[in-house]
Amino acid sequence: MPDTPATPVESLPFEAALKELEKIVDRLEKGEVPLAKSIAIYERGEALKKHCENLLKEAEARVQKIRLGADGKPKGVEPLDD
Amino acid sequence: MTTCLLHHPVFLDHLTPPGHPERPDRLRAIADALDRPQFAALLRIAAPHSDMEDILAVHPASYIERIRTAVPQEGFAAIDADTFMSPASFTAAMHAVGAACTAVDEVIAGRATNAFCAVRPPGHHAEPEVAMGFCLFNNAAIAARHAQRRHGLGRVAIVDWDVHHGNGTQAVFWSDPSVLFASTHQMPLYPGTGAPSERGAGNILNVPLAPGTDGAGFREAFTTHILPAVDAFAPELIVISAGFDAHRDDPLGGLLLDAADFAWATGELMRLADRHAKGGIVSLLEGGYDLAGLAESAAAHVAALMEG
Repeated sequence: MPDTPATPVESLPFEAALKELEKIVDRLEKGEVPLAKSIAIYERGEALKKHCENLLKEAEARVQKIRLGADGKPKGVEPLDD
Repeated sequence: MTTCLLHHPVFLDHLTPPGHPERPDRLRAIADALDRPQFAALLRIAAPHSDMEDILAVHPASYIERIRTAVPQEGFAAIDADTFMSPASFTAAMHAVGAACTAVDEVIAGRATNAFCAVRPPGHHAEPEVAMGFCLFNNAAIAARHAQRRHGLGRVAIVDWDVHHGNGTQAVFWSDPSVLFASTHQMPLYPGTGAPSERGAGNILNVPLAPGTDGAGFREAFTTHILPAVDAFAPELIVISAGFDAHRDDPLGGLLLDAADFAWATGELMRLADRHAKGGIVSLLEGGYDLAGLAESAAAHVAALMEG
């Protein structure tokens, strides 16, 4: 089924997830999605959106760690353990 | 008061490929639910074959011919990714239109106050020249036109609470202010139309609901937008595109309605029909793909129609 890519959402990198999400939104808006698959595709979009939001949140936290660590000089990226 | 139930065995002969959600078992589930003693008073009428003139009021002859000749000798013919025909599908579609128009006749003649048509295939996605979303002929649009052309009614309101937007019905009446089309539906979802900005000649009212909207959210939207618009329009007949796929268990929708919500909406529309249309309501089955949710919701809807 070309409409529902098999790649698990959690394993997708940000760029790929966002690209697929944009494609889904575009297809839903254009009405290109068959009725019987519309809800599955919408739910895939929801999962992608959540995944993208999580990745962004993680990236944001990482940026904050750099800033916090840059009291004197930036120490580079600290591992995120929370 | 009397409530009609329009049905026909040929609706079970419209077959779809294995695994297709729009399947004959949907009507079997509804028939079983309406077999209970509380529904004994229903006036049951076998739907006649439709009059071609009625269909021609919505679909051009070339389209009807295209659908007729698409009927396969055996197996299935695919009209699009969703929409299939089996050997009996054209006949079933003709009887579905016949059910809708007969229900209008019964209600306007006063032999019944209201009517429910347990039909397949459904209709609200069918545009004048496009079969789609499991739909071949637009039963609701044809019923409204039938009421106007055969019975001289002026204003007809079509209220569509199927979880999917009734793009076909909207297309038919886009520039016809004599018909109000008022719809609640999930957005985003198939078919992608149904934004509030789609207003037609001011006679189209789209009230999209966010995924996850529950019964309280639905009732609020219905009370705030749909009911006042129908009341102000003062229709001489209300047609309901009654899909039950906004039910919480439906596999094709993401709304969280219960059977009681459909009964509530039915009661609210009956109050408006009493005010403007001598109680006249013609309700047509559209979607609804969870057999238990569909049967329970349709039964609650019909019970409300009977209670008055």
